[in-house]
Amino acid sequence: MRWTVLRQVAINRNPTLATKTRTWRGWGTLCLVLAALALPAAARTRPHYGDTLRVEVEGDPWQQARRLVLDGLTAIDADGNIHPALATKWKSENDNHRWQFSLRPGVHFHDGSPLTSASVVASLGTDCATNCPWTAVHAVGSSVVFTSDSPMPNLPALLAGDGYLIALTESWGGTQGGVIPPNAKGTGPFQFTAFNNGALILEANDACWQGRPFADKIEIVGHKSIRDQWLDLSVGRADLVEIPAEQLRQAREQHLTVEASQPVELLALAVADGGVLGDPHLRAAIALAVDRGALSNVIFQKQGEITASLLPSALTGYAFLFSADHDVNKAHELRGGLTPPPLTLSTEGNATMQLAAQRIALNLREAGFNVQVTPTGKPQHTDLVLLRLTLESNQPQAALESLLLGVGVANPVLESAPAGLFRVEHEFLDTHTLIPLLYLPRAYAVGGRVRDLRLSPDGAPQLADVSLEDAP
Amino acid sequence: MKLVWLIAMIISSLTGLMAQVPNAAPSLWEQPAVSLADEIAGILGPGQAHLTIRNLSTISTGEIPAIRRLLEQDLKNHGVLASGAESANAIRITLSENMRERLWVAEVIEGSETRVAMVHVEPGTAPQAQSTTGLTLRKQTVFTSKEAVLTMLETADGLVAIEPEQIVIYNHTSEGWREQKRVGIAQTRPLARDPRGVILPSASGDGFEASQAGMVCSGSFQPGQPTGEWKVRCHESDDPWTIVQPSVTQTGSANQGTATQMDVGVTPFKAFYNAARNYFTGVVAPSLGVDLPPFYSAAILQRPASGAALLINGIDGKVQIWDGPSLKPVSGTRDWGSDFAALNSGCGAGTQIIASSSGEAPADSLRTYELPALEAIPASAPLAMDGTVTALWTAPDGKSVFAVVRNAADQYEVDRVTASCNQ
Repeated sequence: MRWTVLRQVAINRNPTLATKTRTWRGWGTLCLVLAALALPAAARTRPHYGDTLRVEVEGDPWQQARRLVLDGLTAIDADGNIHPALATKWKSENDNHRWQFSLRPGVHFHDGSPLTSASVVASLGTDCATNCPWTAVHAVGSSVVFTSDSPMPNLPALLAGDGYLIALTESWGGTQGGVIPPNAKGTGPFQFTAFNNGALILEANDACWQGRPFADKIEIVGHKSIRDQWLDLSVGRADLVEIPAEQLRQAREQHLTVEASQPVELLALAVADGGVLGDPHLRAAIALAVDRGALSNVIFQKQGEITASLLPSALTGYAFLFSADHDVNKAHELRGGLTPPPLTLSTEGNATMQLAAQRIALNLREAGFNVQVTPTGKPQHTDLVLLRLTLESNQPQAALESLLLGVGVANPVLESAPAGLFRVEHEFLDTHTLIPLLYLPRAYAVGGRVRDLRLSPDGAPQLADVSLEDAP
Repeated sequence: MKLVWLIAMIISSLTGLMAQVPNAAPSLWEQPAVSLADEIAGILGPGQAHLTIRNLSTISTGEIPAIRRLLEQDLKNHGVLASGAESANAIRITLSENMRERLWVAEVIEGSETRVAMVHVEPGTAPQAQSTTGLTLRKQTVFTSKEAVLTMLETADGLVAIEPEQIVIYNHTSEGWREQKRVGIAQTRPLARDPRGVILPSASGDGFEASQAGMVCSGSFQPGQPTGEWKVRCHESDDPWTIVQPSVTQTGSANQGTATQMDVGVTPFKAFYNAARNYFTGVVAPSLGVDLPPFYSAAILQRPASGAALLINGIDGKVQIWDGPSLKPVSGTRDWGSDFAALNSGCGAGTQIIASSSGEAPADSLRTYELPALEAIPASAPLAMDGTVTALWTAPDGKSVFAVVRNAADQYEVDRVTASCNQ
């Protein structure tokens, strides 16, 4: 595993550095107000058009908006099936070393310019400077052709991921390895209009190839604390807010209208495979020393699914084959009486992750390791990194390849049957360079006027399909 | 301890497993049990082993003893005998599942060595729900598709399904529905996000007329050798959709221009559809002499005492009835969703309304109502559906309704719903 990639993963997945200490006073009052808001649902009606959907998030609003503005070549449904999106069909040749995707005709970017194979190639070139599954991508007529020295059996599923969304490069002057900004022109159901007082404003794209969305506008207010989000929901200033996994039970107790995903966020401990931890026995000892049960029960309020597997049980059915045992004695045994030099542990930075990191450090000290948790906001080389990895696909083969790619292992997963996937996972996890700990759901609370909210396979809310009850 | 893992996999395609039905016949598990026993015997060879089974799946606990007996018998056939815990060898079987299929996993433990075998089993089907009071509603799934189905028409030997961008004609074969023809509708304007459509038998009886936002398609069956052929043509059109057609039991002649109450139910009722949205504009043909609000659905209700009436469900959620000079609000419809359809069950007043509703349940339900006056009175218990009802319409003979249901797996099933009279 390339350490620099791992480090970058930690930084990328840390859009908010919520380092401030939360004040819990006032939560009780807020909860009472929220409980009073939990009104019985009315009968289901067809979705209404119109009005503005107000969303609040703790992180960068663009993270939530990307999929509203941009589309991929393919899409994956709740069942893990791959569907056409900007590409209508595709075929592989040369034993999956070459793929040809035919583009959907008649699709336009938000500025009215047509979607062409050249614009797709330009966009993918800027999206994916490193760690792409392909070696080269070319425009051929109205098709896009990917080639690679290695087979790419999962390319159609991978192209549905967030990393490969299509934007009009000219609209933001994209450069290799650049990050697509909110004002980029896409083909999605909403288009960027403004950033007002911290709110990202999106407007319905009447000419969207998937059909005009129901809401006229979406306002996404970013960098709001969870407490403030819940307060705004309670007084009707927000329609959709976030619920961290550790507060899911509290939200349900307050009878909030909650939409929670399947477990889609993998909490995992990345372990450097060089230097002090070059000895695989020490890495195995770390895996045995972590008390997943305590993490789940204490930090994440029993909302996590304990795992020692990369893919969740819901995708494979075999996760129980990986032992998640906490065995301090065996960890001592594997350490062989040696006291390794002090280790450093860093994390993404929000308060809950900091608590989880502290808990893990405590476990490791009990097993004879000397571990220091580094302060947040100072990315640096550390021996251990506590990560949250999002399961971007519910198609097991693509999900596994994507997770491995996310931690710098760029090997295509050629196996598709459960037994083959198990073998791939087992071989990787046997290196103890990534220790899966918990699978966590993503969850949201919605106000009474939000209808038909569904979550995508990665747990993100599908806001284009949401309608508002009191829309005119 | 070094573990050597040997993975083996057998794909067993078992159709029709009804695993979630309590006390389902044990024979349903025979094939996976045989396959797993083969794999275990291949690893272990003849001998004794301590067998344990744990269930992490939705298979009911009551079925585990039968599965255990099957596995013991199949292992015995390979010379592997289930023994007590004192045995040096152990077989730990886990009945597991993922979101697509069941997975039976055997961990074969010989001393410090553990090897794994897996067999996957296709998921079963959910039990059919049934209501028990008043009229009894029953549903039968006619057709299932991974693509969105807007509406569907049964033909002599198959069905025609309208999808958002295509018309698909299926033949019924001994192996189920087989796609016969697929024709693109070729819309020139963007699709609506909640697309709708209607399809009716053509007047000649050998084809269909379908309307979808901004498009009209007609299909006709051309007899020929050996099986004949469907001709389908589509063109742009903003003509009104025929949303209520008289059933075969209703006859009569209609006035031209403005309709009277007597005309309702004996002449096709058409309405203009807002192609950029998901509702009818309120402009109808023939005109009723009153301004109708925009509405989602409409149905003709034949009432023995007061004659035919038109029922509409406005986009404001108000259900109103027109039975002559004016529109009147209908009470008792608070739980109704946007869709309803008339059902000529022959029970009670003869014709009922079946309306969709959801309440707080994750899935919608259907329920019949009678409207002797201006209040909807429930005539059956709710019939739980397997997901969200996205379309509901009356069958051409009027004696059943069809519902399109989008289930949790985003599949679309078309259910025929019928009612029987309770004695």
